[in-house]
Amino acid sequence: MRFVVLVKQVPDTTEVEVDEETGTIIREGVPSALNAFDEFALNLAVEMKEKSEEDIEIVALSMGPPQAEEALNKCLAIGADRAILLTDKSFAGADTWATAVTLSRALKKIGKADLIFAGQEASDGNTAQVGPEVAAHRGLPQLTYVSDIEDLDLREGYILCKKETDEGHVRIKSEIPTVLACMPDPGFEPKIPNVREIMKAKKKPKEQWDLEDLGGEEEDYGLEGSESVVIETYSPPPKGEGIKIEEEPEKSVDELVKFLDEEGLL
Amino acid sequence: MIEIELELCTACGKCVKVCPVDAIEIKEEKAVLTGDCISCGVCVSACPEDAIEPVIKTAEVEDLAQYEGVWVFAEQENGKLKPTGPQLLGKGRELADKLGEELCAVLIGNDIKELSGELGAHGAEKVYVVDDNIFENYSTEAYTTAVTSLISEYKPNILLYGATHLGRDLAPSVAGRMGLGLTADCTDLSIEEVEGRKVLLQTRPAFGGNVMADIVCPNSRPQMATVRPHVMSPMEPDKDSEFEVIEESVRVREEAISTEVIEVMKPEDKGEIPIEEADVVVCGGRGVGTRKEDFELLRELADLLDGTVGCSRPIVEEDIMPKSRQVGQSGKTISPKLYIVCGVSGAIQHKVGIKDSDYIIAVNKNPDAAIFDVADFGIVGDLNQVLPLMIEKLGKVKEN
Amino acid sequence: MARTDLSDDRELSEEQKLFKESISDWAERNLPLERVIEINREGHPFPEDIIEGLAELGVIMGPVPEEHGGMGLNWKDQIVIADQIGYIDPSIATAAGFMAVETGWGFTLNRYCNEEIREKYVRPAIRGEKFVGIATTEPKGGSDVAGFESTGEKDGDEWVLNGEKTFISGVEECHKMGGGFWVNVRTGPQVEGAPHKNMTAFFVPIDADGVEPQEPYDDAGRGSLSTSGFIMEDVRIPEEYMLGERGKGFYHTMEGFDLARIMIGASAVGVTRRLLEEAADYIKERETFGKPLAKYEGIQFPFVERYTEMEASKLMVKKVADMTDTRYDEEGWVERTGKAQTYKPTEIAKWISMIKYKIPHLAKDTADDAMHWLGAAGYSSEYIFETAWRGVMSYCVGAEGGANIQKIVIGRETLGKDYVPYK
Repeated sequence: MRFVVLVKQVPDTTEVEVDEETGTIIREGVPSALNAFDEFALNLAVEMKEKSEEDIEIVALSMGPPQAEEALNKCLAIGADRAILLTDKSFAGADTWATAVTLSRALKKIGKADLIFAGQEASDGNTAQVGPEVAAHRGLPQLTYVSDIEDLDLREGYILCKKETDEGHVRIKSEIPTVLACMPDPGFEPKIPNVREIMKAKKKPKEQWDLEDLGGEEEDYGLEGSESVVIETYSPPPKGEGIKIEEEPEKSVDELVKFLDEEGLL
Repeated sequence: MIEIELELCTACGKCVKVCPVDAIEIKEEKAVLTGDCISCGVCVSACPEDAIEPVIKTAEVEDLAQYEGVWVFAEQENGKLKPTGPQLLGKGRELADKLGEELCAVLIGNDIKELSGELGAHGAEKVYVVDDNIFENYSTEAYTTAVTSLISEYKPNILLYGATHLGRDLAPSVAGRMGLGLTADCTDLSIEEVEGRKVLLQTRPAFGGNVMADIVCPNSRPQMATVRPHVMSPMEPDKDSEFEVIEESVRVREEAISTEVIEVMKPEDKGEIPIEEADVVVCGGRGVGTRKEDFELLRELADLLDGTVGCSRPIVEEDIMPKSRQVGQSGKTISPKLYIVCGVSGAIQHKVGIKDSDYIIAVNKNPDAAIFDVADFGIVGDLNQVLPLMIEKLGKVKEN
Repeated sequence: MARTDLSDDRELSEEQKLFKESISDWAERNLPLERVIEINREGHPFPEDIIEGLAELGVIMGPVPEEHGGMGLNWKDQIVIADQIGYIDPSIATAAGFMAVETGWGFTLNRYCNEEIREKYVRPAIRGEKFVGIATTEPKGGSDVAGFESTGEKDGDEWVLNGEKTFISGVEECHKMGGGFWVNVRTGPQVEGAPHKNMTAFFVPIDADGVEPQEPYDDAGRGSLSTSGFIMEDVRIPEEYMLGERGKGFYHTMEGFDLARIMIGASAVGVTRRLLEEAADYIKERETFGKPLAKYEGIQFPFVERYTEMEASKLMVKKVADMTDTRYDEEGWVERTGKAQTYKPTEIAKWISMIKYKIPHLAKDTADDAMHWLGAAGYSSEYIFETAWRGVMSYCVGAEGGANIQKIVIGRETLGKDYVPYK
């Protein structure tokens, strides 16, 4: 049996700046990390593997530059059995569509997966689109905003999850295989791999696949294969000096309510 | 589009049964595509032999001129329209006028035809209604099939969704099946000319809001975007506006739906969320008082805003709140969307704990209090007068 | 403003980077600075949940071979771990002190003990279930080996031990958790001019008949790891509990000190780095006379001096770890590097002495400087500096070897045997 977990290496902070000249993000000196929601998804996969009596292989799959190996190493330390990095010059600049194409072709090559886990969104792109788009490519159902798995029966072929909606939460059952886009409830603490697990991870199989391994043409992937194009990035307008008012309480609060409304906080 | 691998096909007929547009037939003991496939993907998951593959071709550039109309997905639940539909119609009007095209709404559900009146009043010239039992509750398969069906039939130029949980489940599913570009969580939209063509310019935040990006979808139609709720404004409703209702029937089989909601869970008490996880934190300091009762008003305000309470160090020392609620250098560093702080002078140790908050609102008697240096909005006044007024006025806004 | 980051992990292996990450993540949840200050204030014994946490993390006794329950880490890996443990525990006494004692002495115990001790004490210690420590200091002797008076006399197939051990770390913890101590006693007449001869090492379980733990001291710092002692009155120890060879006790014991000192030195680098980062955050933010403190040379210059010394210390520790790896895996090292073994035991002793006296002092001086920069705030327990100063002092004045003795060792190796004081 097999679980595949889609992971991404992202900058370790959202405190990034835009180079005003080139309009691109300044990545130099910014450390990288495994995307938090992907880490949660992997934690769920490992938890399910531990609870199950079946023999399950967890594959961590990522598309990224060569340094994304670091994030995959962490995945192996957390409990993945195998790591695959999709890396090729032609994969760069991909939007969610091209990313989904790339990941889907790799999924096809890996073979049948009983569950595909993904983080609900990445902390840099914030699109939350790759999970569902991969589901569409693979012809699989999807469950988004999954915050917990209550029950998984691999033999009977169903999963019971806790899912966040705009109103609150629901308990929802789905056929499997399916794609789970996962987002933790507040207070979730990811598993911390210990020294033993880190040393064990050293011996686990790691592969790198490129364009040739996946097949297809260069124009299927990366910037060329994208359907949406970023034409400009820039810093948001600065917030400006704070407002300070010293009026009758009634008036002050009215102004405050107006301010909160204008800023979309209500 | 789909491709059927004939060697694997056993002619079991499942795909024929589930196809909502009757596009598949069994001919000479093999399943064959005979009609216009709408790329809904239902047959792919239904096939027990894994014989059907999605083949996703994207729209060619020459075809683009055929696509016309600014469409808005109007989300509804339990027979009530969600605010995103009218909000998007408000923006949509602007876009449609610039393009000289029609503004339309898409309404999917069960027994919801009458809601089209509200959409018409908010500016929709046409409302496409898909009304059937199977759409009573949202499911990815049913709604994706409905939307892809309408897109294939009517070829809109632009399709907007609210970036709600539902919208962000539905839109990428549609995009994935039809090979479309999709931009997420936009905060602004406009029509611009790029390389001689009028396209939708989609503006959205990335990196948690620290970077803004302008995006276009040059080659795929419809151009799709999910839009952040409450950023766009609806137009004033006009009960007398004229509009057309177009009913479409989209057949989705029960078997096509792979999920089932077992239970809708009771909403959780937001007040107990740890301060470092909460979106809204209302914090009180020495200026609030020295007794537990003095902090009741803060709790009320926090509950009203779906947030939680925090405090400064002296309050923990007085045993009014636990250490886990302490904000500041020797407590916790937090970065909520909204931080309201009352009766705290704002020494460096406190400021350090809150500097990454999105919005800081401060209330303090002393006009020179250091907290005002970091506040986005500061009220100089007596919090015993200001707080009750805040609760009253914000309460009113919430009701509306 | 983002937190100051003075780490330089360019040359770390993938695994070493993950060690650091796991330790930091664990500390964020279980041992943030506020708690470090708290447990130092609350006092001994060392909190059990932290012992469990450290054991679960796998930072204790990593270099013990896998077949004995350890992880077979080399010392270059363990110093990265020690550095990060020092970073998260700048008071050096709590997590760092515990880790250092257990790792240095646990490893050495494992080298010289029998299978029974390994099963009953070493393996459980790796799991955080028992405590193994070192007890050499006595009322009349510590640095001065000639002052040792505890004796061990053979009686049948047992040894009878008598004497008093003082200023021992961890007796209270050992008493609570179970475990024992590496104890040195005289098993033959003291040789004039060579007091280190005729000493033998034994493993003494804390619950052995005749072992009487004493009341803990109130130390200036290192609040949460106890300092006390015990009296041995006709304690009977089986022959099999002798560690190493009869009469060679001193030499075996020095091995344990070597490793514990490396752990302390490595931890102290991490401590220094953490103190500098915490101080940097403050001096960048706090303004006086219209400018941030960091803009004044009087503050910036000492800061960079300490930073430079810290980076130099890091390199020294790395060299010592390399030497230690060769010492414990000579064949493997020769194979890997193609060089013949080049480090004499006295060279290694010199380098270990250098890092043992230098780096805790650097950490202490950095804490001292930081307290000057922060003023009253730095003197208070709101910040880590005064707690760190008090804790690190323990390793300057005497714990795991007094600084002044280390200097004598270095003097001997640089100026020559003829210039050793007191001879």
